[in-house]
Amino acid sequence: MTSRVEFLSRIRGEMAKTRGLFPARTAPRPAEPRAVAETLRRELAERWPAALERFRREFERVGGVFHRVGALVDVPQVVAGISRERDVRRLVAWDAQALGGDLLSALEARGLDPVAMPPGEVPEGERARLRQVVAQADLGLTGVDLAIAETGTLVVRSGAGRPRSTSLLPPVHIAVFDRTALIESLGQAGVFLEAWHRAEAPGEGAVVSFITGPSRTADIELTLTRGVHGPKEVHAIFVETPIHD
Amino acid sequence: MSEADLSVPFRQRAGGAMKDAHLQEALTIATTKFIGLRREAFADFPEGERLRDLAREIKEATLQSLDRYLEQLIDNVERLGGHVHYATTAEEARRVILDVARRTGARMAVKSKSMATEEIQLNEALEAAGITAVETDLGEYIIQLAHERPSHIIAPAIHKTKGQVAELFAKELKREVAADPEVLTRLARGELRDKFLRADLGITGANFAVADTGSIVLVTNEGNGRMVTSLPRVHVAVMGIEKVVPSMTDLMVFLQILAKSATGQKLSVYTTLVRGPRRAGELEGPDEFHLVLLDNGRIRQLAGTLREALYCLRCGACLNVCPVYRQIGGHAYGYTYPGPIGILLTAMLDGATAVTDLAHASSLCGACADVCPVRIDIPKMLVGLRRELDEKKLAPWTERLAYGMLARVLASPRLYRWAKPVARLLQRPFARNGAMRSAPLFGDWTRTRDLPAVAPLTFQERWKDLEREGP
Repeated sequence: MTSRVEFLSRIRGEMAKTRGLFPARTAPRPAEPRAVAETLRRELAERWPAALERFRREFERVGGVFHRVGALVDVPQVVAGISRERDVRRLVAWDAQALGGDLLSALEARGLDPVAMPPGEVPEGERARLRQVVAQADLGLTGVDLAIAETGTLVVRSGAGRPRSTSLLPPVHIAVFDRTALIESLGQAGVFLEAWHRAEAPGEGAVVSFITGPSRTADIELTLTRGVHGPKEVHAIFVETPIHD
Repeated sequence: MSEADLSVPFRQRAGGAMKDAHLQEALTIATTKFIGLRREAFADFPEGERLRDLAREIKEATLQSLDRYLEQLIDNVERLGGHVHYATTAEEARRVILDVARRTGARMAVKSKSMATEEIQLNEALEAAGITAVETDLGEYIIQLAHERPSHIIAPAIHKTKGQVAELFAKELKREVAADPEVLTRLARGELRDKFLRADLGITGANFAVADTGSIVLVTNEGNGRMVTSLPRVHVAVMGIEKVVPSMTDLMVFLQILAKSATGQKLSVYTTLVRGPRRAGELEGPDEFHLVLLDNGRIRQLAGTLREALYCLRCGACLNVCPVYRQIGGHAYGYTYPGPIGILLTAMLDGATAVTDLAHASSLCGACADVCPVRIDIPKMLVGLRRELDEKKLAPWTERLAYGMLARVLASPRLYRWAKPVARLLQRPFARNGAMRSAPLFGDWTRTRDLPAVAPLTFQERWKDLEREGP
């Protein structure tokens, strides 16, 4: 088996033979990404309506369904509407804290059968059981870490109380966000990724997912088909009153 | 013709593909559609050209410090609890993965689309070791059921009709379904969902790996990349060493142009950044994460003539615009990577002699370089390969003689002037309407195209007359 030392020294050996390379630099990175991210947030607090409009347009273009409500307490009504139209009831949701509020009783009152994901480490047997629950759920309710206007993309980070599968296994994914998650471009998303990396916290998961509309394929005769492995439908509910403040 | 057989000469493989009416139609429709989608995506994106320059520069800068970025990546992956393996050859990469599979008692592996695992022919090795390998990208799943290989980097089954897919599913899955992409996709979803939930091993490639964070980046539209990295208890990612990028900031530059070049999407549906195994508090994710760094001919090219091919993002844009690929499709090339970039990658992995014929399967029109998101000068490297092969004197003596004479004549104005009347005399029995349908010694040339005849009056000769006449 090749060792790390052998492998890297062969690379160095070949690199030493190169000549006349053109001067090249990597992309300029923000020195203080957290400060830049904060500045961006402040600026966006002013111009978010334009970003939201662009997000809606792009999100709908990729096949997403956009909703807008006044406050978090209005979310269960929208979710109940979606479940009624599809005649389904089983819902899995991020933990209340990750979601920004406890919506379970309100969802139950509207005839849904919701299960919240645990906020911390659970034993292996329980993990396997919960996986079955998620695999059989009809709806997955999550929060959003970033909503990118340029591409209509939802960015979600995995972690305690925010499993990867909530936005993946159920055929319908419903994501709730407010203007604090809204950014304008992929370039800005890069600043947040850098900032998150500098400020790692316990309970953080291993995955960041960019989700741009429902799962799709065009592998058979280039015919666009939705919901091949991931959700067939993605709903984004914009909440006017900031959720986490 | 569905599968290339390398014992059949390239010329015959290509000829067979060109006689396949269905393949011809499928290729025209697919490549034309991709070209249009890409064009529209960049037309709406004025920063695109600047970002392509930047992306090219980042690739070059990364290669210039490749050892440093790889070390950073390795350290980060290990710090996160992952394991890194080093594979000099395809054989070694297979061995590493089989060891992981055996040690963890894996019986079924689910795979998300990965050219690197095609390159090392992993599926055959897994099957031989008694491990079921399931391709989960719909296109890959179809061709796996059909026991074929991908015919396009990003659309592996474009050569198949929905009718053929329905027949295949009926035969392999014992389910009679309508030849409707929607219905066929739903059937595949059910079949594969079950496998995602049962598999022990998840195998992926990597579109990128971020040195600064230790993240492996997977770009998919179907969501299989997310499934494969979240549900099985072991995740193995196989990546060529050139896939590393320094930072998240660099990654975003590539993400802004990759999907636009490949499918014309602003962004693919899922971009998944995975850092090592499951963390405490997470409900799912693998217990073990393995990263296999693959050389397989790449390291040698760091100082080689094909260095620039190491920039390649595997977007497939150069396939769609290539007049040769559009005629013959992916299988006729006969190797893992088809199209213009595929010729270079084949030479990288298997050596220049593997592309003796393929190096000539290009009109050198330059369309590939125009669309390449990182502006790889593919034609220049193809010419370089041709030169390298020419020096090995592999061409027939007639061809070498003809080109040798031509080179002399074109290099000397005196010889050139003298050669014109001679050529006119010699070509007289064969030339009709300014072209020769056949001529002795030129049989190989004239079999598929006409040989232009020397004009009755060349431009040089006319110019002399015009000069004498004055303006």
